[in-house]
Amino acid sequence: MTVTHHPPLELLAGFAAGSLDAGEHLVVAVHVARCPACQRFVHAIEAVGGSSIDAATPVPMKAGAFETVMAQLDRAEPSTVSNRVPDDADEDHDLPELLRHYRIGRRRRIAPGIILRPIELPGTARSRAFLLQSAPGTRMLEHTHTGTELTCVLRGSFSHEGGQYGPGDFDFGDDELDHQPIVGAGEPCLCLVAMTGDLRMNGFFGRLISPFVRL
Amino acid sequence: MTHGFQAIRMLPKSRPSMAGFRSFRLRRYGNERPKVTVRIAVEWANLIGRVAAHGDREAFGRLFEHFAPRVKGMMLKAGAGKDDAEEIAQETLLTVWRKAAQFDPDTAGASAWIFTIARNLRIDAVRRKARSGSIDYGAELDYLVDPAEPIDHMLVRSDEADRIAAALSRLSEEQTMAIRLSFIEERPHSEIAELLGIPLGTVKSRIRLAMNRLRALLDEIK
Repeated sequence: MTVTHHPPLELLAGFAAGSLDAGEHLVVAVHVARCPACQRFVHAIEAVGGSSIDAATPVPMKAGAFETVMAQLDRAEPSTVSNRVPDDADEDHDLPELLRHYRIGRRRRIAPGIILRPIELPGTARSRAFLLQSAPGTRMLEHTHTGTELTCVLRGSFSHEGGQYGPGDFDFGDDELDHQPIVGAGEPCLCLVAMTGDLRMNGFFGRLISPFVRL
Repeated sequence: MTHGFQAIRMLPKSRPSMAGFRSFRLRRYGNERPKVTVRIAVEWANLIGRVAAHGDREAFGRLFEHFAPRVKGMMLKAGAGKDDAEEIAQETLLTVWRKAAQFDPDTAGASAWIFTIARNLRIDAVRRKARSGSIDYGAELDYLVDPAEPIDHMLVRSDEADRIAAALSRLSEEQTMAIRLSFIEERPHSEIAELLGIPLGTVKSRIRLAMNRLRALLDEIK
């Protein structure tokens, strides 16, 4: 299936530059990993980053920096760890590779037909990330966002005024948008979501539950 | 050389002592430009290749000498503290040594590859600092990103680097600058307005225009 909905270019460029919030970074990364067009854009921004290194004014390294690094060249390479807790291994086998670097919390039923699994992000994150699985035909009430909401479809589909969103598609919502998404019939829809905004003020789960009604 | 090859001109102007130049042809995308053959220095790529092939310490020394101070300079410009910039620059070159075999000159230029390493290390550094107050590369980390890990494995084409260079070369110098200042150097719009000599009110649209054009140029590549 071809990906038809992409992140705004500002987000892609921020992703390539490494300046996105951890939750946003994750959702964009999952989209980019399966979208050749966005990959190419990211690579182009990285090339601009390379030219920025070329053009940078060299700042002298500390005395002995070279020797310090040379002394480490033969040091054993630290193993890159992937310490995700392998619970629910069967159901997770088709999750994107990238998510394996993260701890994914337990499933919580937050409304009829809606299951949420929080994703643990580094302490610096402004956003919250979670997997959201919705039963076929679930309808969200019309809602707006206080911050931004980034969504990448992993399985199944949903649709709203912006069109139909299938696996790999990216949806960007902010406070300017009125959304009324409906989950496609046939199979559950699994999405990776990152939300920013002052969720505590509104009550995180309250805000999550309130938009959903099962038809 | 006509306009339209600004990306080429942005390369460092001379590296006289180094051998290893490669010529390649910029492909024509669209209809208007004549074929132009440019010589591009790829000695950095060759040096990385020597490190990968036989752990060439002399080659690594030259890479360090060139790139470490520039990575440090770029990190400082993007707002990193002095010690952090130094640490990231050292760790970037150490990663170049360790991961040299993963570098593929057909998919990315040497500088772009080193940029991605520095970028990933900076992301890690920010996350580490939030935990412990210092970068501490010795500590084990939950969210460790392999600094040289490309975001993708299968989708990159073998001549991607040339194609992307060709698309970038068709952006105006000002458009490339707008993207670089805004995203790579993360400068505030007021500074970008000053540097580009345009009114503050048009900075946002200028950046957006540059990115839309870049996306369109990249999409033309079939």
